[in-house]
Amino acid sequence: MLRILHDTNYDFIRWWKVMAGITIAFILLGLGSLAIKAPNYSIEFTGGTLMELEFAKPPDVAQVRSTLDQAGIRGAEIQQFGTNTEFTVRVQNAAAVASQSKGAENIAVTIENVLKKKFGDGAVTVKRTEAVSARVGDEFKRGAIIAILLSFLITLVYLSIRFEWRFAAAAVIATSHDVFTTIAFLKLMHLEISLTVVAGLLTVLGYSLNDTIIIFDRVRENLRKGRKESLYETLNRSINETLPRSVLTHVTTFASTLALLLFAGEVIRPFAWVMAFGIVTGTFSSIYVAAPVLLWIERKWPRKTGARQASSTATPTSRTQRSPATATR
Amino acid sequence: MNLKWRIAIILGLVAASVWALFPRTVVERVKRNGEFVYDTVRRVPLKRGLDLQGGMYLALDVDESKGAVPDKSKAIDNALKVVRNRIDEFGVSEPVVQKAGNDRIIVELPGIDDPRRAQDVVQKSAFLEMQITDKTQALEKSLPRLDAVLKDTKVAAATPSPTAAKDTSSAGLQSLFSADTAKKADSTKKDSTAASGTVGGPGAFSKLVQQGQMPGEYYVAQTDVGLVTQYLSMPQVMAVLPPGKVIRWRSDTTTMGNRVYRAFYVLDAKPIITGEYLTDAKPNTSPTEGNIVEFTMNNEGARRFRAETGRHIKDFMAIVLDQRVMGQPPVIQSAIGAHGQITMGGKDLQAAQDLALVLRAGSLPVPLKVADVRQIGASLGQDSIHKGITAGIIAVALVVLIMLGYYRFSGALAVAALGLYILYTLAVLAGFSAVLTLPGLAGFVLSIGIAVDANVLIFERIREELAHGKTVRTAIDEGFRHAMSAIVDSNVSTALTAAVLYQYGSGPVRGFAVTLLAGIAASMVTAIFVVRTFYMIWLNRSRDAQTSLSI
Repeated sequence: MLRILHDTNYDFIRWWKVMAGITIAFILLGLGSLAIKAPNYSIEFTGGTLMELEFAKPPDVAQVRSTLDQAGIRGAEIQQFGTNTEFTVRVQNAAAVASQSKGAENIAVTIENVLKKKFGDGAVTVKRTEAVSARVGDEFKRGAIIAILLSFLITLVYLSIRFEWRFAAAAVIATSHDVFTTIAFLKLMHLEISLTVVAGLLTVLGYSLNDTIIIFDRVRENLRKGRKESLYETLNRSINETLPRSVLTHVTTFASTLALLLFAGEVIRPFAWVMAFGIVTGTFSSIYVAAPVLLWIERKWPRKTGARQASSTATPTSRTQRSPATATR
Repeated sequence: MNLKWRIAIILGLVAASVWALFPRTVVERVKRNGEFVYDTVRRVPLKRGLDLQGGMYLALDVDESKGAVPDKSKAIDNALKVVRNRIDEFGVSEPVVQKAGNDRIIVELPGIDDPRRAQDVVQKSAFLEMQITDKTQALEKSLPRLDAVLKDTKVAAATPSPTAAKDTSSAGLQSLFSADTAKKADSTKKDSTAASGTVGGPGAFSKLVQQGQMPGEYYVAQTDVGLVTQYLSMPQVMAVLPPGKVIRWRSDTTTMGNRVYRAFYVLDAKPIITGEYLTDAKPNTSPTEGNIVEFTMNNEGARRFRAETGRHIKDFMAIVLDQRVMGQPPVIQSAIGAHGQITMGGKDLQAAQDLALVLRAGSLPVPLKVADVRQIGASLGQDSIHKGITAGIIAVALVVLIMLGYYRFSGALAVAALGLYILYTLAVLAGFSAVLTLPGLAGFVLSIGIAVDANVLIFERIREELAHGKTVRTAIDEGFRHAMSAIVDSNVSTALTAAVLYQYGSGPVRGFAVTLLAGIAASMVTAIFVVRTFYMIWLNRSRDAQTSLSI
């Protein structure tokens, strides 16, 4: 039997202050960087035009740029995308977006026309065009924010039902931590915030929550056994007991993420980066955010001396609550 | 549950999945334009999103730049019918035309190779009017006033500082020519300085305009078209234009000598007839006029047309499509009945075909503007599928290696379950005719890594139970039982997140949420039910099963 990290007894939570320092520093670094310069939002959120072009032979980028400038398309961002014949052209500035409110496609049409005029009809192929008006961009932005907040709310309710409010709050706080670290990561990596990246962020939230739940499930079980130990010890024990599972699942998930990162192409790469980081931050937050926060909540609103409103209602139910599997037997 | 039943259920699910995914020729009854039509296709019944098969996505809003639209929802409903008619005639397989929210039309056109043309067909207002050109010389009569107005306004704007005035006027003019600023930088400069010298001078308008051969026709040099358009849109100018008349530009240009001109026409504002009576339109090529579109009107339209044209013999009739005069207005020789034609002015036959199509499908009740457009080439879609499949195969290979290496025999059971997981997930996607998008494909690859999580949870639990000295059979039972709550809670919370994503995501992201949901369902079935059954088979068959388990 091959075993890793079997029967460990690390005192994980002892290091929480150090870890909190590290993660807060990381988040502050990201937010500070955000304060200096706004993040790169994709055209889905800002409105704008994105074209993926393939040239018959590697073009002179300066020439492409000057052709666009002459056509009155200023501030276009031209980037190599994959091989040296493939490029993306991105026009996202305020003036361009304003002109798109008349019709989102007009800039894309101009770009295609002037480039074909300059380089010849067969020398440029448009592989992909996305043009979004500012209004649609605002709708996407609102949708993304609602989606993240709503998923928090639903999670909070579900976990409150399945565990109790303390666990739910700790899990949601740990997950919020992941939102911040992931945003900091996106900023520091200069990744563009697109709809796909937001989907990646929500996947990370789900994944991180998953990880927290696995540990909390063990905590719930260990609490039920009624050992004579503090919650601090129970948490540490639960983290240690679930450690082999955590490691193995993170490894297989990372294997999939790696496959995406390396083989799935440019469009998916930002998503894969978010996911790769999400594995790290999700694991981290389950141990170093969820657990200390749960401890803190327990100190503030202790369950044993049930004087407080929340604990007086929550404690009896959580004591009598049993997992469905146990109940069926 | 009885082992035989378990095996039967698994095999049944496999059979159902294979059946769901088997390539087939389907005769589909599709509702199009209110009536059912039959359609046959042979394919693996997995729907690919536009980003995987190539095609075009359009979101159209009501364009209110030329006046507010009072009841947008109703206008969109009517526009939807017209757009649907046009798309049906355009010939796209499985198009989607639907209303989104209150004031938006979504059009999805899979696999089209000429997006620009498709967009024209969708977006063209196709509002046809026949208007008689002005024969009262109304514009000539207004010219002195027009010039005076322009003189006043321009001088008023220019007085504060003569040097600044020169700068602003030339800057303003340059912006008019911005489309070809760079190429014509020199000529623009010349033009602008020349113009700035005369702006505000006498005859500001009249010197730009030359009378044409027929009443109500005027020519403007192509280089001055922008300036004249700007003048005509100024409120002071509009106030002194002849009442009861409208000015419409011609759609094509005319070359006289070596200069290019564009004509505009002064027309009676009230059309003698509009396109609402049109019953048919078809493209044709005439030896004298090039490509044309011939149209036919219904009885009522023909009657009106005959009466009106009878009243206007020897007048010139402009055929105005979306406020552009199509070709030289012909003289009315005698009363015209049900048939008429539109000259395309040198445009190709395809343009004539498209115009005939939009005329047949009817005009849009409101102008539409594109709010969001995504167009993906078919080759890019193919490429994405290849890359996605490559990534998927590599992900499977890595996960299989890890599971076999770590859990040996039990890992092999998990790998077999993973195979079923992939089959079931795809079958669920096919069964619910969910759309597979590129993010969806990525989500699927990712889910391969996450799917074994449930197995890992169970196996680790079994290991713990074995370590506590339980027998193999008990350890397996207990392992499944104890891992259950963690599996259920973690999967349900992920599914809730995915459901939110589905609700608030758009297109591709929605596809991602769907694969995630299908994956969660399939992974719970395979990890909990299928692997358990595998263990039961093994416990029943193997002699040493009671003493040792390779895990």
